[in-house]
Amino acid sequence: MSEQQLRARQRVDTVSADDSVWEIRLRRLRAVTKNALQELYKSKTATVGAMMIVLLLAMVVLTPVLATHHPTKPNYRVRLQPVSVEHYFGTDKFGRDIYSRVLYGGQRTVLISIAAVVLGLSLGIPLGVFSGFFGGRFDAISMRFVDGLIAFPGLLLYLLIITLAREWKLEGFYNDLILVFALGVNTMPEVARLARGSALQEAKKEYVEAAHIIGEGSAFTAMREILPNCISPLIVNATVRLGYVILIVAALSFLGLGTPPPTPDWGADLSVARDHMETHPMIAVFPGLAICYSVLAFNLFGDGLRDILDPRLSER
Amino acid sequence: MLIYAINRILQAIPVVFILSVLVFGFVHALPGDVIDTLTSVETDEDPEVRAALEEEFGLNKPVYVQYFIWIGKALQGDFGKSLVTRRPVSIELMERIPATIYLAVVGIGLSILIAVPLGTLAAVRRNSATDYTAQVTSLAGISIPEFWFAILCVLLFALHLGWLPSSGYASPFEDPQKSIWYLILPALAVGFRQAAFTTRLTRSSMLDEISKEYVDTARSLGLSERKVIYKYTLRNALIPTITISGLQLANLLGGTVVLESIFAWPGIGLAIFQSIQLRDFPVIQAGVLVLGIMVVIINLLVDLLYRVLNPRVGLG
Amino acid sequence: MSEHDRKNPLTQTRREFLATTAAAAGAAAAASVPGAAVAAPKRGGTLRFATRVDGRGLDPHRNIIYYVSNPLAATTQGLLDLNTNMEIVPGIGEEWDISDDLMTYTFKIKKGVEFHNGRDVDAEAIKWNYERIMDPKTSHSFTRASLKEVKEITAVDKQTLRIQLKAPSGVFLANVVYYPCNLIAPDSADQADTHPIGCGPFKFVSWKRYAKTEMVRFENYFETDAAGNRLPYLDAIEGYPKKEDKVRLTALRTGEVDLIENMAYSDATNFKKTQMDKYNTWDIPQVGAGYLAVQAKKGPFAMSAADGKLMRQALAHAIDREAIHHAIFNGLSEKLTGFYSTSSPWHMPGIRNIKEFDPEKSKAILRKLNAMNTPIAVVARDTYSYMHQTGELVYSMLQEAGFKPTNEVFDNPVLRKKYKKADYGIDSTANSYRFEPDGWYSRNVLSSAPSTKLRTGYMNEQVDKLIVEARSTRDFKKRKELYTEVESLVNDDCALIYTHCIPLTSAATKNLKGYQPAFAGPFNINGGGVRTAYFA
Repeated sequence: MSEQQLRARQRVDTVSADDSVWEIRLRRLRAVTKNALQELYKSKTATVGAMMIVLLLAMVVLTPVLATHHPTKPNYRVRLQPVSVEHYFGTDKFGRDIYSRVLYGGQRTVLISIAAVVLGLSLGIPLGVFSGFFGGRFDAISMRFVDGLIAFPGLLLYLLIITLAREWKLEGFYNDLILVFALGVNTMPEVARLARGSALQEAKKEYVEAAHIIGEGSAFTAMREILPNCISPLIVNATVRLGYVILIVAALSFLGLGTPPPTPDWGADLSVARDHMETHPMIAVFPGLAICYSVLAFNLFGDGLRDILDPRLSER
Repeated sequence: MLIYAINRILQAIPVVFILSVLVFGFVHALPGDVIDTLTSVETDEDPEVRAALEEEFGLNKPVYVQYFIWIGKALQGDFGKSLVTRRPVSIELMERIPATIYLAVVGIGLSILIAVPLGTLAAVRRNSATDYTAQVTSLAGISIPEFWFAILCVLLFALHLGWLPSSGYASPFEDPQKSIWYLILPALAVGFRQAAFTTRLTRSSMLDEISKEYVDTARSLGLSERKVIYKYTLRNALIPTITISGLQLANLLGGTVVLESIFAWPGIGLAIFQSIQLRDFPVIQAGVLVLGIMVVIINLLVDLLYRVLNPRVGLG
Repeated sequence: MSEHDRKNPLTQTRREFLATTAAAAGAAAAASVPGAAVAAPKRGGTLRFATRVDGRGLDPHRNIIYYVSNPLAATTQGLLDLNTNMEIVPGIGEEWDISDDLMTYTFKIKKGVEFHNGRDVDAEAIKWNYERIMDPKTSHSFTRASLKEVKEITAVDKQTLRIQLKAPSGVFLANVVYYPCNLIAPDSADQADTHPIGCGPFKFVSWKRYAKTEMVRFENYFETDAAGNRLPYLDAIEGYPKKEDKVRLTALRTGEVDLIENMAYSDATNFKKTQMDKYNTWDIPQVGAGYLAVQAKKGPFAMSAADGKLMRQALAHAIDREAIHHAIFNGLSEKLTGFYSTSSPWHMPGIRNIKEFDPEKSKAILRKLNAMNTPIAVVARDTYSYMHQTGELVYSMLQEAGFKPTNEVFDNPVLRKKYKKADYGIDSTANSYRFEPDGWYSRNVLSSAPSTKLRTGYMNEQVDKLIVEARSTRDFKKRKELYTEVESLVNDDCALIYTHCIPLTSAATKNLKGYQPAFAGPFNINGGGVRTAYFA
């Protein structure tokens, strides 16, 4: 840690009597952010990844502004148009603007993936931490359950869950929740295992014992003391997982198991574009590139983050 | 070691049990009436026919009884008969599983062949052009959607260049030459992504090993760099590569559905997917269970192998 | 094809049949080598072909072996045959007689026809087959439905079969062709699920589901060509089911198969333009129609609802057939106002009450009924892309016209559940292979038909009366008039909204000669298909 950083930290921690709690917190937050950014700078991959993610998120937020056409409105008079000023990415077989569809599709895909990973984390972390912390029968049973889910090979669990939910009459966003659920359930086992591993290590440490002695409730200890200490591998895992989930969403929609058309969707659009692959290859290019871009962004960021958070590897 | 192995095998039994309950539950919760899939909309429903079909497939008993009948017979190797083809489920599975294993094993094999030299080279010549190429290619490999890559490959190698067949399958035992011919593109699609994974892994575990003390010691003892790298470092660095490849193999067993559909590859994943759509529940149940057991066994073997190769890992 | 070329099988005599059949076979042979001297077809060779679907099972009575698209269709056939125009022609049954009251059908069975195991195809064997089909325990309900009017089957002697019906029907012949009622060897019932023994031009060898069906030439197949050579010419055929349209076409172009069916609409135009020199293509008009089935059991479109008819009209005015024509069928199809397209002898130019595309009219109706933003669920099955893609377009059209639609794609079992519960608004669907119009009207329009009851709930007494009348009418022209009236009434009720005929495009390598797909697609037909195909 550099001299400057040290001083910065000291300044933060000096609390004067008239500082309100919020001011202290705010100052701390500012310092932490600054530190984080400095750390981030050290890793080239993380910087590039972070920039790509920021751009991606910006597009997600600004989709309604950036889109030039209605994403689902067909117009057969302008079908299969090449790239032009009017249609930046051309039009698809229904005469819809691909540029706008890629944007709206991205908005959905990114939000679904984030929601799914968050769901996976919020299911997996408590399960993992508690089983690691309490051990015994609870651990044995919950880990066998997790193993059972993991033993579901490949995409089959997704296929079953999505087919299961197919008859429910859900509209728009709620339909996406099924995907979120399926993906979240599938993210859960890995997260639970990871959290359990860290919790097992942490549970043996002194500060946990200390918390026990003070008399804090065990569940409380588990969450409050152990969690912050095993969060960094989870964050790395979640970031990389985000990229993976985007790929799965695309693959499922490609198989026809995503949200029903005409909802814009990268995977489903690729599947339709496949029919025109030879004559109009460009239709299949843009959604594909969009997927690559987002997955790459999360992978790069995840890679960089791992380097930063894992001091053992920081030399690389 | 033996006790550990026995312990792990015993642990696997409840996992398989939970898996069987999960898959049975999922399959019987699938929406739609199974009997409907066997009758036509153009005839009035005949309660007698319905009763006969329910009797034939054991659907007239309470669900939990059905489960015990199913699992009881499954333990004796009898999975019943397919709702659709009325052939024994074992025939249906045996026709399909070899194709999937074939693709998965060759795909993983291919990936190891590419990835290990590439990853090692990248680590040894760190920050060289080779390293950057390897890193960029492997990042691309894990970011490109498999199905998109596959379609592009078909477009290029099958349609434009006409070098390879676009789809189909021949058994390696019946017609080895033709079989390999058909295998190249699918294996390439599987292998590319896996190779990207493995390259990254090999590179980072190589770097890990190179930075260890014994390497310096060996060097100071005057051993040639080549000998140090290839005799000591690589051997240790390969342990995680091998284990992860094993786990990837397990994952591929049900994970090639999309590729199987693109290449009309008669694998088990596609068969289960199609059975889900047809509600051919005996095939889904047995297929997922058998694949799940294979996954559990592979994981078990990988785990044991890891410990044999790497005695430092505790047996806890 | 003009109307003169086609005749109602009921009024045609056997002699006329033989004449047209021979002519067709001759024409097919001649057409296969245009401009050159007519060379004799060559024996031998293995034809590899790719289809969209695969059989669900091997027992042809237990599973619907969809004629158009199924490799197994080459292994067996029915009592009567179909020719390239999808007309009923003599086959195993070489002559027939229909009693004046349309209650008794007597068939004379050709001598020397054998099953693949050497057993004779005689009256007794056919009777056994039909009884097996009529038994709910051994047959599929679809197959069974085609014989539901049969009262009694008698094997008068070895070569004579008599079928008595419960009610007069002039259309029974359509039920004893290959699809739906085909024949397997009576002593092979126990192996029907694993190795069926049929009587078709090719013998079953092996079946790997979704991968490959192998069949070899049946050396004792009864049909001969004009020169007296035994058919078929090919030594073997191999069917490769490849579900994706794109995959099939690519397989043809990379030389993995010689023949494909159902080319994707997006490919067909371009393929014909650029690959003319290497491949032959056939545009098959297909006796099939894509249509929107309006759920009229309950909800806004219900027959019983006071405004039901007006609401359905608003719906009909919202449908832009032109858009579907271009976007889904790539301009290859034909817009329909009735079930039959212009390529069918049953095409009815006189249909009235056609609702033009006019979304403003829809809006006006909705406004008047105070029904703007009525929620409508557009559903479609996931099997065929044209169905759910049409649904996707209809969804947008309804939006445009002031409805508040949703669009969903379901697999079959879920859709069946929705039918039962009348839990949908419009089903974007299709029906094909109704070369005999009674097969369409009696099964999907008649209010007492199970399918109508289950799916649409459409009911119009006048329509019912006309359909029943047409069933026992012998005269082709008269029947057609009756059906024209039916279609006009259906159009007025806006209960079924026909959109397009479903065209098929098949393609094969140039060296495949003598192959002529039938009017509706099947490849095992009299005077064409795999029976007369050979490699030059």
